[in-house]
Amino acid sequence: MGLINEDEALIAAALKGSAYAWEKLVKRYESRIFNYGVRITGNTSDAMDLTQEVFLGIYRNLHRFRGDAKFSSWIFRIAHNKAVDINRRKRLTTTLAHTNNDEPDFLETVAGDNRYEPDKKLVDQQANSRVISMLARLSLEQRLVIELKVYQSLTFEEIADMQGVSANTAKTRFYTALKKLKAVSEENNVLS
Amino acid sequence: MSCPKTQHLLQEYFSDGLAPLAKKEIENHLNSCEQCNDEFEFFLLAHSNMKGWKDQSVPHWDRGLELFKREHRSEKESMGFWGRWQLVPTAISFVMLCVLLLNVSVISGERGFFVSFGANSSNLQLQYQLAEIQEQYLVEMDTLVNQVGEWLDSNNVQVLQVVMERTREATMENLDLIYAYFEQQRLRDLEDMRISYQELVDSDYETIRSLQQLARFVSYQDDAVR
Repeated sequence: MGLINEDEALIAAALKGSAYAWEKLVKRYESRIFNYGVRITGNTSDAMDLTQEVFLGIYRNLHRFRGDAKFSSWIFRIAHNKAVDINRRKRLTTTLAHTNNDEPDFLETVAGDNRYEPDKKLVDQQANSRVISMLARLSLEQRLVIELKVYQSLTFEEIADMQGVSANTAKTRFYTALKKLKAVSEENNVLS
Repeated sequence: MSCPKTQHLLQEYFSDGLAPLAKKEIENHLNSCEQCNDEFEFFLLAHSNMKGWKDQSVPHWDRGLELFKREHRSEKESMGFWGRWQLVPTAISFVMLCVLLLNVSVISGERGFFVSFGANSSNLQLQYQLAEIQEQYLVEMDTLVNQVGEWLDSNNVQVLQVVMERTREATMENLDLIYAYFEQQRLRDLEDMRISYQELVDSDYETIRSLQQLARFVSYQDDAVR
């Protein structure tokens, strides 16, 4: 049975009340959603909130999934909307608290744990930290377009459809994001 | 001096379904334009760095199972009259399982129905039932044997009659043939005897003549000697 057919079988079983099918469906996608969340929000705590909200959204809307699109695309559309919501809530909270700290707390969180991790995991986390620090300099729209293009391998048409813009705008956002990364990199080189 | 083509070319380069010819043209431009090439290389490096992401393991969470089970349990509780019929197959399975485990047997006989639990009590009923069946079976077998015997007897008599009749006819024919054969043989033997006697007579006659000749010869010789 193919991956897509297996998804459909699990969805059908979950809709009939099979907790086992639901758990299997969640296990199949939770890692992708959680890592998406870490890259977008910059910390594991918000990523976990995002993951839970995404799967709650999936659960509430599972009966509406018609199978016209791939289940993974449908999930990432929900994840995209939740990421925008969480970002909006977070901005509101930080504004109310009169803080201006846009930097992610991921680096600190991970750095604290590194002393107790094996070497390989440490190297992996350093690589992830570099990615997070690069993405942290981008706006949410730019981060999302990089995420969807680089990590989820969506086409510009799909990204445009998800973000409610034209394909050209999605391309421009992607290019602008890369330009910004270059500018940040050059700035860091000058400062260092 | 910046190249006016950089943005357009790089946007197109990372587009989906870029034609091989267009890709070749962009690569030709990148080879000839230093600024576009620098930017392109940085983009590739950034892309490569981002691809270096290692998936983190998901912290433990209940995967929404509590909510799922709670909501589906409440759905089951309110399933109504027809929903309860879904339990019928389960109930039937349960009853069958009980019957199997308790070794329940229901026996119907001339005295009515017997319901027994366990192997011992059912064995008595079973033996009683078995004896009845055996008795009935023997009676039926006797009747059947008698019927078959009668049928075989009548059949055998008919067959014997036919066989005897055929045998009698065949025997008579055979006796006639034997009689004719013996008669023929007797005549042949008589003829042979007659020929043999004749030959013997002829032979005797020759012997007598030879003796007579011998006698005459001897008497002749005697006469000569004298």
